[in-house]
Amino acid sequence: MATKRLLPLTRFTQPLRRPYHSYTHPAPPGPFNEIERSILSSAAKHIPSHGFTSTSLALGCSDAGYIAASTNLFPKAAFSLVEWHLLAQREALKGEVDAIAGDGAKPMGVGAKVKELTWRRLMGNEEVIHRWQEALALLASHPSTSIHELALLSDEIWFLSGDVSVDTSWYTKRASLSTIYAATELFMTTDKSVGFQETREFMERRFEDGRSIGSTLGSVGQWVGFTAHAGLNVLRSKGVRI
Amino acid sequence: MATKSAIRPFLKASRFQCLNSRTSRYFSQTSIARSEPPQPTNHERTTHFGFETVAEAEKEARVAGVFSNVAQSYDTMNDFMSLGIHRLWKDHFVRSINPGTTTPSTTTTPSPGWKMLDIAGGTGDIAFRLLDHATNINNSPSSTITISDINPEMLEEGRKRSLKTSYANSPRLSFLLANAEILHTVPSNSVDLYTVAFGIRNFTDKPKALREAYRVLKPGGVFACLEFSGVTNPLFDAIYKRWSFGAIPLIGQLVAGDRASYQYLVESIEQFPKQEEFRDMIQEAGFVVPGKGWEDLTGGIAAIHKGVKPVPKQ
Repeated sequence: MATKRLLPLTRFTQPLRRPYHSYTHPAPPGPFNEIERSILSSAAKHIPSHGFTSTSLALGCSDAGYIAASTNLFPKAAFSLVEWHLLAQREALKGEVDAIAGDGAKPMGVGAKVKELTWRRLMGNEEVIHRWQEALALLASHPSTSIHELALLSDEIWFLSGDVSVDTSWYTKRASLSTIYAATELFMTTDKSVGFQETREFMERRFEDGRSIGSTLGSVGQWVGFTAHAGLNVLRSKGVRI
Repeated sequence: MATKSAIRPFLKASRFQCLNSRTSRYFSQTSIARSEPPQPTNHERTTHFGFETVAEAEKEARVAGVFSNVAQSYDTMNDFMSLGIHRLWKDHFVRSINPGTTTPSTTTTPSPGWKMLDIAGGTGDIAFRLLDHATNINNSPSSTITISDINPEMLEEGRKRSLKTSYANSPRLSFLLANAEILHTVPSNSVDLYTVAFGIRNFTDKPKALREAYRVLKPGGVFACLEFSGVTNPLFDAIYKRWSFGAIPLIGQLVAGDRASYQYLVESIEQFPKQEEFRDMIQEAGFVVPGKGWEDLTGGIAAIHKGVKPVPKQ
């Protein structure tokens, strides 16, 4: 009796989200319970044919042994499927890291890992890409969840790539990767090339832009710093007490 | 004292008597004028009747008394108690359940539709809405509903109102006079949707009624409850309490000529467990709740609670 009561309640006493990565504690349970996960993972199989719709959700219910009425478990209806897709694909990246590590003979740098993980995450949309615009429409109507999920994704990619920066670049790295990912994902929805070659090139160009913007900003910063110092020194040489 | 309060709701004469005994009191004092709980005898189980503590055996009869008194003016009463918003709540409640949906299948066999049970649904408010939604929105003309109520007067009111709908005398609509705690005639695992709107706070043994709901629902079936709840904003809560304790019994006296019944209704709202507590009761009965378990309506004046009966693992 006591355990029966404890089980559902722990879901609310434990934090659903954690703002940091932990090596010693298991991940928090996330927004879905066990039953919801089983229904959603069955429903995900119907997305390529039925899209991000309540039809897929109803089919998922029946595959998992539930009835049509059980879709009441998902007050956000089709958006729960989008949330699930984002969550499942993000969680799958953990496995991809090991695959990348085993690929090359020499270890990859952090930048190369970021690029490769971003590409693998994009390929996670491959199966549903012809339906992805439906998901984007749903995401646009839930802006806070979408932005939060995008932030979690870029954080996950940088973390898994082994980034340990603790300065302001922590923010700029995540912000720029979020921009690149969102743009490339949108590009991918209209890409008809074989193996998404054009998407790959698009992504490479965005990363290149990011780098050149980063180095330009760096140069500008250096120039501003140098000029300011020089100006101060000129003033000091004129006897101004600064 | 105890015997006097016990027979109060039954006799019209004694009701007037009780009105007389209360008219000397300002209605703004109503909320603090709680009656002293009579000392229950040791071996008798007790429950709440408004702010009074009464024996379990007595509550059922007294609730019956209240609803027999208000059956005719039921809509007027709800309009005043919720400031007219209860119709919107009920529409939203039904829309959020989305009754009559079917699993799309490749086979051509027509779906059997939803088998629904509306508990404490006397006047049919929810039931007709559910049938309308299933028929018109989800194209499910085979969905059926049973309206169950413990009170024959309320049920009679529903039967009367059903004559004005297209479901009169059709096999899609049936009536059942039963106590929600013991639904003998409803087989286990037979119902897709169990609804109870503005009813469960009057039940004598709520956990028992929840367990009974769990029994009659099919695995995967939905328990949905619309009920007055706790207002979340403290300022709005103060205003709302003032309204409900000050004005509603007075309006009841003026509109329906029955203060005692309305006094009970506002007290029973106050006594009913708040959102989290009721969510825990639903989970206790074995249900899985979606998300946080409830949805507040109009700042928490009412709330929709849902639960799904899990399918046993193979």
